[in-house]
Amino acid sequence: MEKSEELAVINRFKNGDESVFETVIFTHQDRIYNLCRYMLGNAHDAEDAAQDTFIKAYQNLKNFRPDSSLYTWLYRIAVNTCIDYKRKPFWESLFKRSSEGEALVLDPPSDEPSPERLYESKQTGAALQAALNRLSPKLRAVIVLKEIEGLSYEEIAAALDISIGTVKSRISRAREELKRFMKKFMEQK
Amino acid sequence: MKCSKAHKLISPYSYGELSEKEWKAVENHLNVCHGCRTEFEEMRGLSYLLVNTEKFKAPYGFHTRVMANISSGKARVGAKIPVIAGLAEGFAIIAVIVLGIFSGTQLTKGFMPDRTREVTASLSLDVFDSAPSDSLGGAYLAMTEVRDEK
Repeated sequence: MEKSEELAVINRFKNGDESVFETVIFTHQDRIYNLCRYMLGNAHDAEDAAQDTFIKAYQNLKNFRPDSSLYTWLYRIAVNTCIDYKRKPFWESLFKRSSEGEALVLDPPSDEPSPERLYESKQTGAALQAALNRLSPKLRAVIVLKEIEGLSYEEIAAALDISIGTVKSRISRAREELKRFMKKFMEQK
Repeated sequence: MKCSKAHKLISPYSYGELSEKEWKAVENHLNVCHGCRTEFEEMRGLSYLLVNTEKFKAPYGFHTRVMANISSGKARVGAKIPVIAGLAEGFAIIAVIVLGIFSGTQLTKGFMPDRTREVTASLSLDVFDSAPSDSLGGAYLAMTEVRDEK
């Protein structure tokens, strides 16, 4: 969505046409869901968190300042929502599915991957998610936004309301830790 | 360049964020230092994994569910139950269980012994008539009694 289009949608919303919010969801649902999926590690919590993100956005869109991008604003809500999810009391997680229930699949590099390759990529994807889960939420957020969502340092800084220097140092630490976890996994294989 | 400095620059180097001078210095170091080269390769591999990992799409009907939640006013924002509300809920559940046990005990207190006697009587083997003497069972019993007497 172009910036001008985005502003038009927000203005319509502010003027009382709340049905345009569906456009906001349509435009951003995949990236917000993807972020939540990697932040939380399972589909069930990811959908809950993504839904909460949009509901919070709906409730606060009237206060949104157009000097920032809508998607960085949504990312900020999503990251905070995911961090809150991680702080859920333990008994709530008893009624949820295990986060290890589903393995992630890496995009196969070739058109027709062999079953062995697919199995291996599934294993690596699961290991990557396990490694991401071991990072602190702050480090996980920056690495997911940078590497998986492809945001620039500036966008991450705006989304998380931190300085670019902090973004860079967190990314560096996150990569170091991820590399260590992944190395451990590869050695165990 | 020392390994400690190269180590710090490997991450920005792999992102292509260094000045030309720094980039060249790291490049030269990586060409001669096997340890740092390995570290760089690992970092590059990790980036490859992250960049190429699966991109998840929102599940089918996601936006419909969000809009339904919004319009029904059942916004689960801050779905976390506040601590006091959570505790109150827990106490309410425990109170219902205790009340259930107590009222169950009170209700069955009065007639339980009679009922127990009734049930015991219904299970007694005395309710079965002895086998008639002209039946196959009666003949069998008569034969075994004779044998036992011997």
